[in-house]
Amino acid sequence: MKLALLGVGNAGTRIVDQLLAAESQTDRPLTEGNVLAFNTTPSAFADTTHIDGERQVVIGDIHPDVTRPEDIADRSGEDRREGVAGDPELGVEVARDDLPEIRRSLDMVDDTEVDAAMIVAGLGGGTGCGLGAVLLEELASIYEIPIYVLGVLPTSEESDQRAWTAARAVRTFVPLADAVFPVDTESWLASTESDGYGELNRAIATRLVSLFGSGERESTAISELRMDPNDLKRTLDVGGLATVGYAETELDDVSEGWYRRLRRLLGFDVPDPEPQTDAVSIKNLVQRAVDSKLTLQCDIETADRVLLVLSGPPKELSRKGFETGRYLLEDETGTVEILAGDEPLPEASRITATILLSNVTGVPRIEALQRRAVEFQREQDDLSATDPDALSADTTLSAEDDQSSEDDPSSEDDPSTGDEQPPSDDHGFDFQDAELVDQSDVEGESAPSEDESGKDETEEEPTPTDDNAAADDTIDDDTAADDTAATESESTADESAAENEPQKQ
Amino acid sequence: MKLATIGVGNAGSKLIDRMLEFEQETGRDLCRHVLVINTARTDLAKPDHVPEDRRVLIGDTHQKAKGHGVGGDGEVGAEVAKNDIDEIRRVFDDVEIHEVDAILVAAGLGGGTGSGAGPVVIDELQKMYDEPVYGLGVLPGEYEGGRPALNAARSLQSFVTKVDNFIAFDNDAWRSRGQTVEEGYEEMNRELATRIVTLLAAGEVDESDVGENAMDSSDIMRTLDTGGVSSIGYASTDLDKPEGLLSKYKKKDDDEINSMDAAKIKGLVRRAVNSRLTIPCEVSSADRALIIFAGPSSMISRKGIESAREWLEQEADTVEVLAGDDPREDSDTLAAVVLLSNVTETPRIKEIQNQAVDAQNKIKELDAVREEEIASLITDDDNELDPIV
Repeated sequence: MKLALLGVGNAGTRIVDQLLAAESQTDRPLTEGNVLAFNTTPSAFADTTHIDGERQVVIGDIHPDVTRPEDIADRSGEDRREGVAGDPELGVEVARDDLPEIRRSLDMVDDTEVDAAMIVAGLGGGTGCGLGAVLLEELASIYEIPIYVLGVLPTSEESDQRAWTAARAVRTFVPLADAVFPVDTESWLASTESDGYGELNRAIATRLVSLFGSGERESTAISELRMDPNDLKRTLDVGGLATVGYAETELDDVSEGWYRRLRRLLGFDVPDPEPQTDAVSIKNLVQRAVDSKLTLQCDIETADRVLLVLSGPPKELSRKGFETGRYLLEDETGTVEILAGDEPLPEASRITATILLSNVTGVPRIEALQRRAVEFQREQDDLSATDPDALSADTTLSAEDDQSSEDDPSSEDDPSTGDEQPPSDDHGFDFQDAELVDQSDVEGESAPSEDESGKDETEEEPTPTDDNAAADDTIDDDTAADDTAATESESTADESAAENEPQKQ
Repeated sequence: MKLATIGVGNAGSKLIDRMLEFEQETGRDLCRHVLVINTARTDLAKPDHVPEDRRVLIGDTHQKAKGHGVGGDGEVGAEVAKNDIDEIRRVFDDVEIHEVDAILVAAGLGGGTGSGAGPVVIDELQKMYDEPVYGLGVLPGEYEGGRPALNAARSLQSFVTKVDNFIAFDNDAWRSRGQTVEEGYEEMNRELATRIVTLLAAGEVDESDVGENAMDSSDIMRTLDTGGVSSIGYASTDLDKPEGLLSKYKKKDDDEINSMDAAKIKGLVRRAVNSRLTIPCEVSSADRALIIFAGPSSMISRKGIESAREWLEQEADTVEVLAGDDPREDSDTLAAVVLLSNVTETPRIKEIQNQAVDAQNKIKELDAVREEEIASLITDDDNELDPIV
């Protein structure tokens, strides 16, 4: 399957670069040069080696809220946060502002030459999530080909804000894309000691190239059951989250001795070396791919459709092993929608089994991410409700709100956390995150927090879910407040009555 | 018999290719017209013996196919073929139908193109021509799983109702441990090509002096006339080729001795029926049967043919058994091919149907909850997180 690759943000750009490297190494023409990388800061392109300069697109660098490298030239270390500095809302805004620029650069991609497009992005980043979402919307409206997303999930080491951003990205990307391949970074980094990210990127590249590049390599051998692009498309057609497993068996390098080679040259009939694998070892290879560390760990029984590609020298691909392996997949995943193909590579030094599981729904990592994001969002809501900085910029209404919340015993801790840092803020980025959220609150930009954000709603997010969520919050808060009011004193009720007056004026 | 042959999909095209190869190797001239139809451009490049201009790509303008196959989906296969029916009809125009006795459509029933486009092509052929249309269908093996079984079970219904006879081939019967993927399919295709060509090519040699036992095309067609599903059995034995001038003289003298005795001929037929049939079946459930001996006519005794016929009459429990020979004087083998027409007890088809019903239920279950499950996966418990755009 030919694939246009569109890297977004730092992480996305790096992975696309890595994919291009893998493509050239394995000699499978995957992209045919249909590659672009989008960033909100030019420095993200510094390490790329396989993406042409003209295909490196900087978006939003003239936006007032975007941090340019020179803005922070005097800073160093972790303070150096260029671009949209982790703010997905800003990512969306700059991308929307620069849509003509994005469209112009998309002219460099020929969507009739490729079978699908893939956006590659770090979902925890402001650019990856925000710009990625706008790009996805754009592609979905202009392309007839399927659009897939490869999205890197943040680890638990990364900030809560990044988790929150990623959880929202999953919520945003899945309905818009034809399929999303989340990359479960944490499970990959856990097992490696050094250069975790390098290894992760290489692992992703190997898997994707084996999967999408299957059948694209010029080969003298003819595949019996070739995986056509439509086989991949159909497997991914169900939408949702997809994951990839992979296993390989190295073959011994049986070099022919000079005597045999000479005999062959002289036209004698030299028997081919015995195959090193049999039905059982091929079946085991498929089993290993099922049990392998998937790009997204999941309960494989929840898979909707499955695709298997077996690559290697044709004389090593046992038919019985192949068929038994395919049957094993049906058994383990419980779905009958399984496509399996072979990719004969006469010169290959290994046999590989690559499995695609589409629309997996039992994914603990996503649930954990959502829990963390919700917690963070609630914290931020509480924080902005009590944060003096945010209040100073607001009406007296909030000030009174603040008073009333002081009456609420549950929120007594909040002022202190607001003045200091939330408990989870134990490393560098979070200080800034908190700042950013505050800043955006001032602008009336950020997530639904409490009453006034519900009522003053001038945001550009008229999505129904948003309103519902905000409304729910409001209702909850109100009832909570009412309860307190009822149980405590008349004066609180008076206060809340008075609370409404300034607004009416 | 003279045939127009059409291969639909990957398996069908390769089968036709192997049939052409076999008839060339053995000096037969069965396939007067050849056509292969596929939805995947790359698969069309595979045949060795089908001329370039007899390969038709369909669905290259179809939104779902675009020349890259139909993803194993029979419904898409049928849709694509219906859309491009004019294209298919145009290629048939070249077929001078008065030159052929029948049309044979070969397809794999487990894949998307063969199972879906096959019946559409047959429909069209039946509309256009009076000649009988036979189907040659490869049924998926058990280990190919539920989806191919579902394609096959559904397609089998279409095939059997639309064709004049459906010759079935069971993939599982030719599975063996040592094979690679490549060898496996290659071997199966050769085996099937050998059987089908040996059977249908009989009676094609009109000009030579036809012996009294010679089988005629009309006999074969009469046997196939039953409709339903048929199975083919096959056995062959190598003949000691006399070598050198001297032995040639000898042969003339010893003709009677070299000719196989009746018991041997009967044994060959018994072997053909009891060894691997193209689809395993209860022989006694056959409606009609036919035996053809292909090989040097001197080797086939009238008596042998008769005793073989009687034996099969008993086995198949039908009086409608024809037996005859297809003289191949140059052949160094004697082959017996047995056609069991309209066999009704085929356990493999039952199995495929059961597997298909299970598969269909599973697919329905998944379809029913899909959207809901995705929504619940990407949404947090209380729906507090909003999408970003």
